[in-house]
Amino acid sequence: MSEIDFYDPKYYTNRELSWILFNRRVLDEARDKNNPLFERLKFLSITASNLDEFFMIRIASLKDMVNAKYQKPDIAGLTPAEQLERLDTAIHELVELQYSTYNRALVPRCKQNGLQIIGRHEDLTKKEAAFVDKYFEENVYPVLTPMAVDSSRPFPLIRNKTLNIAALVQKKDEKGELEFATVQVPSVLSRIVELPSGEGGRRILFLEEIIERNMHKLFLNYDIVCAYPFRIMRNADLTIEEDEAADLLKEIEKQLKKRQWGEAIRLEVAAGCDKRLLGILKDELHIEEQNLYAIEGPLDLTVLMKVYGLEGFEHLKASKFVPKQVPQLPAGCVIFDEIRKGDILLHHPYQTFEPVVQFIRQAARDPEVLAIKQTLYRVSGNSPIIAALALAAENGKQVTVLVELKARFDEENNIVWARMLEKAGCHVIYGLVGLKTHSKITLVVRREEDGIRRYVHLGTGNYNDATAKLYTDVGLLTCSESIGEDATAVFNMLSGYSEPLVWNKLSLAPLWLKKKFLYLIEREEKFAREGRPARIIAKMNSLCDQDIIAALYKASAAGVKIDLIVRGICCLKAGIPGVSKNITVRSIVGNFLEHSRIFYFENDEHYEIYCGSADWMPRNLERRVEILFPVDRQELKEKLLHILRCQLEDNVKASVLRSDGIYQKAEKRRRKPCNSQDEFCAEAAEEAQKSAGENAPLTRTFIPETHHES
Amino acid sequence: MSVKTFAAIDVGSYELTLKIFEFPGNNSMREIDCVSRRLDLGTDTYAMGKISNEKMDELCRTLKDFWEIMRTYRVNDYKAYGTSAIRETQNTTIVQDQIAQRTGIRVDILSNSEQRFMDYKAAASKVESFRKIIEEKTAILDIGGGSIQISLFDNDTLVSTQNLRLGVLRIQEYLNRFSAKSFQREDFINEMAMARLGTYKRLYLKDREIRNLIVIDDYLSPWAVKKSAKDGSRPIMEASEFDQLFERLRGRDLGQIAASMNLPEERVPLVFISAVLIRCIGQLMGARRIWAPGVTLCDGIAYEYGERIKLIQGEHDFEEDIVACAVNISKRYMGSQKRSETLEKLTATIFDSMKRVHGLGRRERLYLRLAAILHDCGKYVSLVNTGETSYQIVMATEIIGLSHEERKIVANVVRFNHSGFVYDGQQADSMGREAFLIVAKLTAILRLASSLDRSHRQKLQGLKAALRDNQMILTVDTQEDITLEKGFFEANRDFFKEVFSVEPVLKQRKIF
Repeated sequence: MSEIDFYDPKYYTNRELSWILFNRRVLDEARDKNNPLFERLKFLSITASNLDEFFMIRIASLKDMVNAKYQKPDIAGLTPAEQLERLDTAIHELVELQYSTYNRALVPRCKQNGLQIIGRHEDLTKKEAAFVDKYFEENVYPVLTPMAVDSSRPFPLIRNKTLNIAALVQKKDEKGELEFATVQVPSVLSRIVELPSGEGGRRILFLEEIIERNMHKLFLNYDIVCAYPFRIMRNADLTIEEDEAADLLKEIEKQLKKRQWGEAIRLEVAAGCDKRLLGILKDELHIEEQNLYAIEGPLDLTVLMKVYGLEGFEHLKASKFVPKQVPQLPAGCVIFDEIRKGDILLHHPYQTFEPVVQFIRQAARDPEVLAIKQTLYRVSGNSPIIAALALAAENGKQVTVLVELKARFDEENNIVWARMLEKAGCHVIYGLVGLKTHSKITLVVRREEDGIRRYVHLGTGNYNDATAKLYTDVGLLTCSESIGEDATAVFNMLSGYSEPLVWNKLSLAPLWLKKKFLYLIEREEKFAREGRPARIIAKMNSLCDQDIIAALYKASAAGVKIDLIVRGICCLKAGIPGVSKNITVRSIVGNFLEHSRIFYFENDEHYEIYCGSADWMPRNLERRVEILFPVDRQELKEKLLHILRCQLEDNVKASVLRSDGIYQKAEKRRRKPCNSQDEFCAEAAEEAQKSAGENAPLTRTFIPETHHES
Repeated sequence: MSVKTFAAIDVGSYELTLKIFEFPGNNSMREIDCVSRRLDLGTDTYAMGKISNEKMDELCRTLKDFWEIMRTYRVNDYKAYGTSAIRETQNTTIVQDQIAQRTGIRVDILSNSEQRFMDYKAAASKVESFRKIIEEKTAILDIGGGSIQISLFDNDTLVSTQNLRLGVLRIQEYLNRFSAKSFQREDFINEMAMARLGTYKRLYLKDREIRNLIVIDDYLSPWAVKKSAKDGSRPIMEASEFDQLFERLRGRDLGQIAASMNLPEERVPLVFISAVLIRCIGQLMGARRIWAPGVTLCDGIAYEYGERIKLIQGEHDFEEDIVACAVNISKRYMGSQKRSETLEKLTATIFDSMKRVHGLGRRERLYLRLAAILHDCGKYVSLVNTGETSYQIVMATEIIGLSHEERKIVANVVRFNHSGFVYDGQQADSMGREAFLIVAKLTAILRLASSLDRSHRQKLQGLKAALRDNQMILTVDTQEDITLEKGFFEANRDFFKEVFSVEPVLKQRKIF
């Protein structure tokens, strides 16, 4: 038999197409009748915002490549142009499905449940029409900036992602040429307007319909021939994606002048838009046919998140889960004392993120704490962590914070509070040259009776108390000496000092992590070849590193049983005979965003479990600072293994990747339904309750003291 | 809090390193932090004799960062040492002052022998392995940027130490200057090394057989430590293992070596030079095992601090090493061992009885002992000018563990034992006030002791000394005629009296 080339492109899926499949799975949640109605609206809204981001980052990047005449095929052997071609088809299909879901499933069901979304202003009752016209004059008109185009006024700048209304207008008396006019739907006003209540439940209308209805008031001397909403997406990303290869960067730099900044890459218009109007838009914005999306319904479905936020429909939403107390960390405890008793595992959002905030807050106040060091990637707006760090610096502690300014879409936000930290006296490092710092690590150095002791928090999620309620992540609190030493070395390296001689426990990207993963995978392969049990379970967000995938194929071919839980992109193909017969891939899309990265290696019955900040993607392994940490304490290992097992059992929110590349909901046959996220919620609640019971006074009897020491 | 925190700073010729240590008080020390930053001061110094302004700025900037780290840990004390790069600049004092002004850190200069002694102490702090390894014939090869140091052990004491200007950075500088091609490099280094090592072998190594080689370097050792930490292998390598490693280094280019050894690429050429030197010297000695403990100067600095504040008590007696070195030098110049031993005893007796008067400590007692051992080494060169020649020999011979200043004290004491005392105002090669006083006091004692053994026949074995009022009564039990001794004793009494204001009195007690 000839040697199989595990790098052969035919064994790989293009990452962008795989991403479309992921968004499709999110869309399936919007289509799932078992989900509460408003949750379905939310999922649909998420698919829309996902797609916007995908355009701005990925499609833009592919267009750059095409413009730069970059021909190198991707992991699956597709050139950028070929990828764009396939994506165009896939995205059009996706958008069609979005709107058929919206129009056929969600809008009627909303109506049944007492919420009528009025699609067209023409469907308003007289009374309502009078209301919206008044609303227009009082609230909308003052903030509008209508713009007309003629020979003396050029085509105006249409801003990225904004919703606009385009119109053809004609001078009233002259009946002459048609002119183009446009007005932006103001983003300062709520896009949904609730109408005064009548019979038959509540009714809402979108703002653009109100403007469209009153268009003539904006162009007084003109007749409005027709008016339709439209929206464009631009290639506005000024930074070149870290995902791309270094040789591409060079290529693009060379072609910098040719790169068309701000080029429009998608145009959405209402279906049935006047041909003449569409013609003008297409010409002026240089839109090609395949980038045109004729939309049957409201543009920009992210508005559905606002609908979700409407008060009074709580029965149509999933019941809100309140993160539970961590049993090892009862309220009011001194966290350091508890950590000294043994490593503590945190499972968010099932367990509260509060201990992490408390960890830093207590460190800030503790007189024996000498230093606090932390990496921050994305932080919430009014972050209690930032406040605690500032306080620590004011209390004379040495506070070192690495703030990653290159976090996508967060730059401005980050600069503001980074400056604030600096003012408070923190030592702020604004990222590293050429590398994004994605690791999540906090080090507290404390002087104790028997010398310096280091407390470390390591996590898979950002230090963001807001997203910690929505993203599933794990974190470890430890004062293990070997991890403490490594953590110190990490921050020394981030401060520009040389690497340490030895890493005890942690593995760092970009220097060592990939090698470590390959080593761990190859070790399983070796055991399999020796006929010993060999197994890998890995959970992550995305899998697209070719070396890792090839290693997995090789391990699978050697007989290693591999179960992958990959929420998003997966370039690996499952179930190919001789290549990936032993590999299963499943994706879980639930109410919480699966975000934790957990890696299990059987290691000849002495299993090892690692957690970390890195996905198996080239950008994580090669162009970011990431940390992988082992969890050593037996109970915690069991807990992590339980998490993995439970997710492998999931048959409600899990989809399984078939060998033909299609995801299919996991089989339910003859098994009781298992929704892993719900299970974790229940477990966290039970654990918290149990420990609360233990801590509560057990008896109502007073205990008299019988002995008195004078 | 009983735990003491200490910072050790090494301003090396290739790298600046700060290590933070903790002394919990149970005869141990624990490294809690280590930062290092590459800064090539050596090239400036070795090539131009001075450190450039840019390097100076960077040096100060880094030391300031170090200062912040030290403040974070609230260290109780610190010690910063500069080695050859600072020592060999023409304007050492100015550099030191600038650093102090700009960073608040006082950088002291380590003489070569002190530096090597600290490296050696650091190796000895790895007690278990060290004890075991020096049971057999052992040599220490300490590879620095500017020079290398080869020290030999005899029965677990260090007996000789020699400095050779074959430092890794220096060789690198030559290689660059002669733009040696990569295939020539190994031969080139070998030739350069052997040119110096031939003489070394003839003079010092002779047919001594060395079993074990302890290697201290900043180049190969870190890798060895990494390796043994990773695969749990023993830190001691058989010579054959080392040869295998060397073969691997030989056949590959920089990138491959860097990748396979997990080292930054810029380090690889230095690792290679270091490896060639180790192999060359290992073969010269016939060493069978190589131990790279991976210790650094900072470990030695901390160890010494621990000793000084009595939180560490090592089992190895380092003072005996210094003494053994001196004995060996004396032997080489055919000094009389018997007389040295007598003098050692006599001077010790007098020194101890005079404690209240001279106010000197343990270290000064060691100088006196060394002076007694080396008292006549100059006779090898001249029987007349013994004072001057002895002085020259001591000044030109490295004694591991003694700083340059300390060596000068010993040399002067030896010198004035034979020739007329020169007061501090009159000296050309001036020394500090304190050093001068030590020289005066020790000279007075050594002269008195010498006179007591004037006949060189060790007549006054059972000498007792007692201080009474303004007299020091020396009592001897001997049947022999000590007229000669008495005569010389009288002659040297005045100087003793001048220095201590105590009159020495010699009493003979005849026991029948």
